[in-house]
Amino acid sequence: MIAIIDYGMGNVASIQKALNYLQLKSTVTSDHSQISDAECLILPGVGSFKQGMLNLRQRKLDDLLTKLVVTEKKSFLGICLGMQLIAEYGTEPEFCHGLGWIKGDVKKIELTGRRVPHMGWNDIEIKKPKFYEGIKSMDFYFIHSYHFIPQDESVIDSYVNYGTRLVSSIQYENIFATQFHPEKSQESGLKLLKNYFASVKG
Amino acid sequence: MLKVRIIPILTFNGFGLVKTKQFSHPRMVGNPVQAARVYNSRGVDELVFLDITASEQNRKINLKLVSDVVKECYMPVAIGGGISSIDDINNLLKIGADKVIIKSKALTDKRFIEESVSFFGSQCISISVDATKVNGSYFIHNKLGLTIELDDFIDEMNRCNVGEFVVTSVDNDGLMNGFDHDLVNHVASKTNIPMIAVGGGGNINHYTELFTNTSIEAVGSASIFHFTQHTPLDIKNELKEIGVSVRL
Repeated sequence: MIAIIDYGMGNVASIQKALNYLQLKSTVTSDHSQISDAECLILPGVGSFKQGMLNLRQRKLDDLLTKLVVTEKKSFLGICLGMQLIAEYGTEPEFCHGLGWIKGDVKKIELTGRRVPHMGWNDIEIKKPKFYEGIKSMDFYFIHSYHFIPQDESVIDSYVNYGTRLVSSIQYENIFATQFHPEKSQESGLKLLKNYFASVKG
Repeated sequence: MLKVRIIPILTFNGFGLVKTKQFSHPRMVGNPVQAARVYNSRGVDELVFLDITASEQNRKINLKLVSDVVKECYMPVAIGGGISSIDDINNLLKIGADKVIIKSKALTDKRFIEESVSFFGSQCISISVDATKVNGSYFIHNKLGLTIELDDFIDEMNRCNVGEFVVTSVDNDGLMNGFDHDLVNHVASKTNIPMIAVGGGGNINHYTELFTNTSIEAVGSASIFHFTQHTPLDIKNELKEIGVSVRL
């Protein structure tokens, strides 16, 4: 069973729909024992960093997730805000602490001559090909105003070019996280999810 | 490199899909769920679904129907119509909308827009900018009897830090005689927020002209897909020919 963490930060329906399409069993939950029993965890989410952390704390999910992912090494997939929250610090709308699993911080995209949010389909430059086998188009759907800057470049799974190189995904041990939305990226995104779960579920 | 987006727009009147001309004369054009299914199978970049009479008729958008539309889509979907509370937005996001498009409420309640942005983040709050030209200046078309200059409205929404503008030329809506390049360039010069240009696409040349004469990154259309044989892919193939970056 895959647990999609429900912490009141938006779009959980889309990710479950994508998993249903791939015939992967999942449940949308904030229940601690269901989350502890799951084989894999997905942290989705849209909205502000600060609100996201607040919602995790209110449900006492921050400590639980840290225990399951960092100590017990349960497979973890973070999407969009769910990727950003694993950083040490965020700045949306002001400085605040994240889950701190990956060293680095999340900052506003500030570029001259580029519109923000970075919104739409953009191709990624892959550093770790593990989950991307058989994907024909590397265009994925992005919608974000903030970006993750990890301290250690070796965790970077892919980059996206938006006037400058931004980190578009992270892979470290049992953690995989994407700034783009695989669940909204049609064929490419569905294939990525399929590859990922085939790999982590053995 | 970021690709330009070609976005089909479905406008709904509470009963079925309709297509207007200059925001009047609705003509029935089909079933929203079927249309969403076709667009999904064609791999379109994004889909917009608008209930264009919800605010006017003082009713809420039909969540069951929206849910059925969204279920067909494995691409991003933006939904609008009669949104006036945080709950309205939450309900739409919960059933799988990626962005909401707000119009009427944005004209009368800036605080609500600020609140929505701080709650859900800029990226999911899109604002409809329905512009019409009167004596050489652009105003916001509305049925509330308000006189709002385009520039003032854009400034206000910039300050609210919204995520996107859906800029529609009311004068060109449904006429299929080309886009209002002046409007697009005008709004583009006033904001650093992404925009979707809407209103007037009738043949492929209109799209190549739009992307040649403006810096727009997304275009929304309805008539050309309802009333001609052209698909979003046809438009993208042609744009590729003139060097515009598209997702094929």
